[in-house]
Amino acid sequence: MTTGRGLAVTTHLGKWRAILAAACLLAGGGAGAEQKKGDRELGEYLSSQCTTCHQLSGKASGGIPPIVGWPEDQFIAIIQSYKEGERDNETMRTISHRFTNEEIEALAAYFGAIPMLKAP
Amino acid sequence: MTMNRRLFLGAAAAGAGALYAPAVIGQARARVVVVGGGPGGATAAKYIARDGAGAINVTLVDPAEKFVTCFHSNLYVGGYKKFEEITHSYEDLTKKYAVNHARKSAVSIDAEKKLVMLDDNGTLQYDRLVLSPGIDLKYDSVPGWGMEHEQTMPHAWKAGPQTQLLRARLDALKDGEMVVMIAPPNPYRCPPGPYERVSMMAHLLKSTGRGKCRIIVLDPKESFSKQGLFQEGWEKHYPGMVEWLGPKVHDGIKSVDPKTNTVVTGFETYKNVGLVNVIPAQMAGKIARDAKLTNQSGYCPIDPANMRSMVDANITVLGDASIAGDMPKSAFAANSQAKVAANAIRGELTQSRVFPAKYTNTCWSLIETDDAVKVGGAYEPKDGKIAAVETYISKTGETADLRKSTQAENMGWYSGIIADMFS
Repeated sequence: MTTGRGLAVTTHLGKWRAILAAACLLAGGGAGAEQKKGDRELGEYLSSQCTTCHQLSGKASGGIPPIVGWPEDQFIAIIQSYKEGERDNETMRTISHRFTNEEIEALAAYFGAIPMLKAP
Repeated sequence: MTMNRRLFLGAAAAGAGALYAPAVIGQARARVVVVGGGPGGATAAKYIARDGAGAINVTLVDPAEKFVTCFHSNLYVGGYKKFEEITHSYEDLTKKYAVNHARKSAVSIDAEKKLVMLDDNGTLQYDRLVLSPGIDLKYDSVPGWGMEHEQTMPHAWKAGPQTQLLRARLDALKDGEMVVMIAPPNPYRCPPGPYERVSMMAHLLKSTGRGKCRIIVLDPKESFSKQGLFQEGWEKHYPGMVEWLGPKVHDGIKSVDPKTNTVVTGFETYKNVGLVNVIPAQMAGKIARDAKLTNQSGYCPIDPANMRSMVDANITVLGDASIAGDMPKSAFAANSQAKVAANAIRGELTQSRVFPAKYTNTCWSLIETDDAVKVGGAYEPKDGKIAAVETYISKTGETADLRKSTQAENMGWYSGIIADMFS
């Protein structure tokens, strides 16, 4: 069981690194890209819909990847890709469908300001 | 003492620089009492305390030192989790967020005086009360079965010793013995729960060389949550072990006899059953019923915009005890409702921004190792209730890879909601 779960985490994180890299390209670059100025307070409230699964500490667990500390453009690109049906996780699609662009920017600003968990 | 709102707001504004020093604000802090430390109550206590940033005094009333989650208790029954893994401490809530944990039972509410009465005769004054008492079992809903029989015919529908008892009873079964589950009528806690439990019982029995055991499910409902998915899974993984009978087939559950382990239906009498798992009808926890916050359904009507009781605007009702429209009675739902309610309560007490209610839910169910399914949705207030905006459900015939990744989500969600509730 433990081994199985450990493997799943590794595989999943690998996949998410690839997604992040792809989103980075979509968004036209990483560190140099201009940061959006989303409404962080709105983002904090909306984030409560994410934090039932995604941990604010940045810890990955099972099939749930970390979503804190991402460059805002990348975060926005990934949520948009769920919203537009390019990615097929139904939980994420359903959640992203209801977000307006302003709300996605707010989420990106809120989660983006939380530091990633440092690698052990 | 009734809190003077204007006085409080003035004090809070004057002491804005000292919001993290509760002693300075003292009496002027608004008081929120939360009854019930499950997914609704623990989440509400944490979010109100955290986001109130010292301006709100939060007391969580729950006699338990640690909380045993009903969600994933089926995974304990199936042998996938240890009991310690579904048991969690309230320590972070008290240490990190300064939530007062009153380890008492709340016995009644004086709505007029805004008081919660405790079992040690103490009282707690509130400005806002959050009730998240969960469900009570209707011990008179299955003829022949009552509270005094829950040791012989366990329900295990409240996590704790009952869950351990159910597992122990399963462990004691001999190959070829029969299990009868009496499933509950709607509405009840965790709609897919009984059927995930059937799956986990079958898994445990089969994986320990007892594949000749049979599990009969006597259901008062014509259909059930994720039915096609569960029935496909039972056929695939546990052929011949699980038999589900709806009311048209069993013709009514007439009685049970805990002395002889007999279950009588209109269609058949099951004698010398190895294990009878009675999951009875349910209703909102007693404290909510006694406070007359329930309607004829036995649950509490709420304002879908903020989970406030339709009976008393100073009381918020969360989770299984509430009538949450299209949302199921689930831990995920209670957690989601708690965060909407926390935003609304904080707004009332500290004039912080209040945002429109948005609710979410997902319920994962494990059928067999690496074979999980899910159902979920997004919800918003509409036409006086919490209405589904969009829903989804796993499909029959999905690939093994997808089912495996759904189970990985399930395990990750559990860690996530535990972190969201308790740390």
